[in-house]
Amino acid sequence: MNAAAAADPNTGQGVGAPVLRNEDRRFLDGKGEYLADIQLPGLLEVAFLRSPLAHARIRGIAIPEAHRGRVFLASDIAFAQPISAVGAAPGFKASDYPALAVEKVRFVGEMIAICLAPTRAEAEDIAQSIQVDFEELPPLWDMDVALAPDAPRVHEHWADNVVVETRIAVGDLAAAERDAAITVHRTLAMGRHAGVSLEGRGVIAHHDRRMDELVVYSSTQFPHVIRTILARALGLAESKLRVVAPDVGGGFGIKNNFNPEELAVAALALKLGKPLRWVEDRREHLVASPHAREHRYDLTAYADARGRLLGLKARVRVDAGAYSVWPWTAAMEAGMSAGIMTGPYDIPVYDGTAVTVCTNKSPLGPYRGVGRTGAAFAIETLIDAVARAAGREPADVRIENMVAPDAMPYRSVTGKLYDSGDYPECARRAVAAIDLAAVRARQGRGEPDGRLIGFGMASYTEQSAHGTAEWVARGLPVVFGYEPALARFTPDGKLILHVGIQNHGQGLETTLAQVAHQELGIPVADVVVRHGDSSLSPYGMGTFASRSMTMAGGAVSLACARMAEKIRRIGAHLLQAPREAVRLAGGQVWFGEQFVSFAQIADAAYLHPERLPEGEDPALEESAVYQPGRSTGAFSYATHACTLAVDPGTGLIEILDYVVCHDCGTMVNPLLVEAQVVGGVAQGLGTALFEEIPYDENGQPLASTFLDYMIPGACEVPDVRVLHMETPSPHTRFGIKGMGEGGAISPPAAVVNALNDALRRRGVELACTPVTPLRVREALAAAPRAKTEVVA
Amino acid sequence: MKLPISLTVNGERVEALVEPRLHLADFLREHLRLTATHLGCEHGVCGACTVLVDGAPARACILLAVAADGADIRTLEGLADDPRMAVIKESFHQKHGLQCGFCTPGMLITTLDLLARKPAPDAAEIRAGISGNLCRCTGYQGIVRSIQHAAAALEQAEEA
Repeated sequence: MNAAAAADPNTGQGVGAPVLRNEDRRFLDGKGEYLADIQLPGLLEVAFLRSPLAHARIRGIAIPEAHRGRVFLASDIAFAQPISAVGAAPGFKASDYPALAVEKVRFVGEMIAICLAPTRAEAEDIAQSIQVDFEELPPLWDMDVALAPDAPRVHEHWADNVVVETRIAVGDLAAAERDAAITVHRTLAMGRHAGVSLEGRGVIAHHDRRMDELVVYSSTQFPHVIRTILARALGLAESKLRVVAPDVGGGFGIKNNFNPEELAVAALALKLGKPLRWVEDRREHLVASPHAREHRYDLTAYADARGRLLGLKARVRVDAGAYSVWPWTAAMEAGMSAGIMTGPYDIPVYDGTAVTVCTNKSPLGPYRGVGRTGAAFAIETLIDAVARAAGREPADVRIENMVAPDAMPYRSVTGKLYDSGDYPECARRAVAAIDLAAVRARQGRGEPDGRLIGFGMASYTEQSAHGTAEWVARGLPVVFGYEPALARFTPDGKLILHVGIQNHGQGLETTLAQVAHQELGIPVADVVVRHGDSSLSPYGMGTFASRSMTMAGGAVSLACARMAEKIRRIGAHLLQAPREAVRLAGGQVWFGEQFVSFAQIADAAYLHPERLPEGEDPALEESAVYQPGRSTGAFSYATHACTLAVDPGTGLIEILDYVVCHDCGTMVNPLLVEAQVVGGVAQGLGTALFEEIPYDENGQPLASTFLDYMIPGACEVPDVRVLHMETPSPHTRFGIKGMGEGGAISPPAAVVNALNDALRRRGVELACTPVTPLRVREALAAAPRAKTEVVA
Repeated sequence: MKLPISLTVNGERVEALVEPRLHLADFLREHLRLTATHLGCEHGVCGACTVLVDGAPARACILLAVAADGADIRTLEGLADDPRMAVIKESFHQKHGLQCGFCTPGMLITTLDLLARKPAPDAAEIRAGISGNLCRCTGYQGIVRSIQHAAAALEQAEEA
């Protein structure tokens, strides 16, 4: 079903309609309730004492007498089990991630003590008064340092600092090497950065006396799953634990982990019986929240003379930091990158190795795009290099290598099942929109201001809404196979949807209502979506991996379709009409010109069962659980194309034009889809151009405030032109594919390709992110030809 | 040591005893329970805590409450009945100028000020005007369109 057919012609609020958001009002009035807005009587504020050192043994901790009873160490919450995220891959080295450091600290920012006071400022005063006697150890501040044969180990019981190494080898690489007319080798590096939701993380925990349960508020993307793991870690029954995600001020993956802060605050609140609150400040976020990216690539492409790829050899190394995050494990980034490396291309031979390295840095976690941003950076810059070697236009080489539409469904060399789409057409539309011929002509003319113009593009496939099969294959501690929905009418005829996902900007309080409208004809304004509370909603997996619209949308559709049947039966009975002759529209059941309202039907269902047809159960409530038809994922895809200008004197880059042509299957709400794409591109541009947390040789993070860590502002992000294609997925309800992450996947590749296109005549090629002005200038200065030109 | 301050917040006189180190945003949020003012960095960079101080936008996270003694403070809560703000809010709704909503109060107050000073800004002027307010969700495009929409709607309202 395409969107045009799916959209309800009566009211234009169903699947495919650009409905304005239900959730806007409270945010526009400043009435959103984020974690730090929650107040409880007697609340004590938490400040963590965090390690100032990257790697050290703790010999002793001195707490001033005045602060006894307000400072708590690992021994005070010894009943709390450490976080342990062990991958199923053979050889995966397990480690414990304690809530508070026990004998050793392994990264700057690791928590050592919890300090309590009526205000955060006083709690920070206490933290500063604590003296820790450290025995400093050599810091493993870079993955190459950690991989040195004689390197000290982050975890003493390990043989080396490699968490795990996995390999996918398919086809005859030696033959590809032998047959190749073109062999291109590249090494690449992506910088480490932070996720930077504008609201930091945060936790409140208190004991509910009446329910005898621990209530934990967390700024999290998956409250139900947090309840499960927190209950295990604390030794509680899940029925004695309630986890609530209030309004969440951005997630992007960083709030999709079981954090030691959650464990520490919940454990201490349980022990003390007092309400505690921790609100992450920006410095904590930049230093100690789960970090993003930091990949290094060693790539070799084998191609024929026209650039058709015969084989690909890739070695991905990821600096995963000191600990394995739950539930993703430390191996997620490298594994995903190596597993999706061939992207939209039909590459028959592949030898990919994924190496996950343990260092003295904040643990790496999921961030919008996850391994795919790195994989796209690798394959897309490599394709440009192949095109240059072949002396051809990168767009042409790229399109010729793509999986053809008639090959769908297509199983990639890494075993991914691409479900549908026309990848070459998508790329052609992006190139046409940017007008490549005009860019080439402009390059030929040169710029009056001396800047250099470059064109770059990058394509990707985005596995989304993957279910049981995919997560089992990845060997995670939890398999995220489904989503539930409970649809419940109130006796006055409004609909409440209880769902297990968590909405933090995606617009799910609107788009799920659109799905309900699609099935029931109920106005979107009459639908309330409740989520984020383990005591309120059926158990669900949360919002991540571009899954919520497909998964929860499918569940809402199933539940509401059943509800529609019941409403038809009751409505037909009340109208004294045949069931087949009634239809639902506008919150009413119609028979010809007669109707009964949903309010009348709900009134009958709840308060006047005597009015129901014989044998009809009272109440109006349906629940459903949804899994896609195939659990290997629905693959969205896109091509990003951009033009930029770089000033060779300053190294400053300006994006002149940015086009995204994408296909996420059936769009539920094109207005929100476009905004997700644009927002993702802005984050991807941050990765490409600005965001980085370098570590010095002492293992100290060198960017810890917004003064030395730059996220894109309004003047750094161009207007993004978004072109839509809609190829429904055959595996999902309505043909929806997930799309939340896609925007952030391609920008590093597209921007670096454009930069290298601009600098090509200077003999300069950059192979890293972010491409800061300094790095551009250094690359130009290192190129002999550039110096000549500057002198001339 | 606490110091007495006396200021006007959203039209009401407020007297308080505060620590000298308390910043205005914490005073508004924790003492007065005005939580529309958000904290995104506490470095004076992100603009989420933007409020009006004597009619001009200011970052409540780098202004000490004691320094606001005698000032007239207006937060988003205090603009609930402002007809221009009502137009701006509706424009942010119409043009999808918000996602998670965390930057929104600061963005709205900056917009109110921008459009008071520059009633018909072009896109570049809007981007420059909001460059002190960070948003991590929208990529700013929806916000720029919202502000353009608000400018047109306010102009129309004034002509009528």
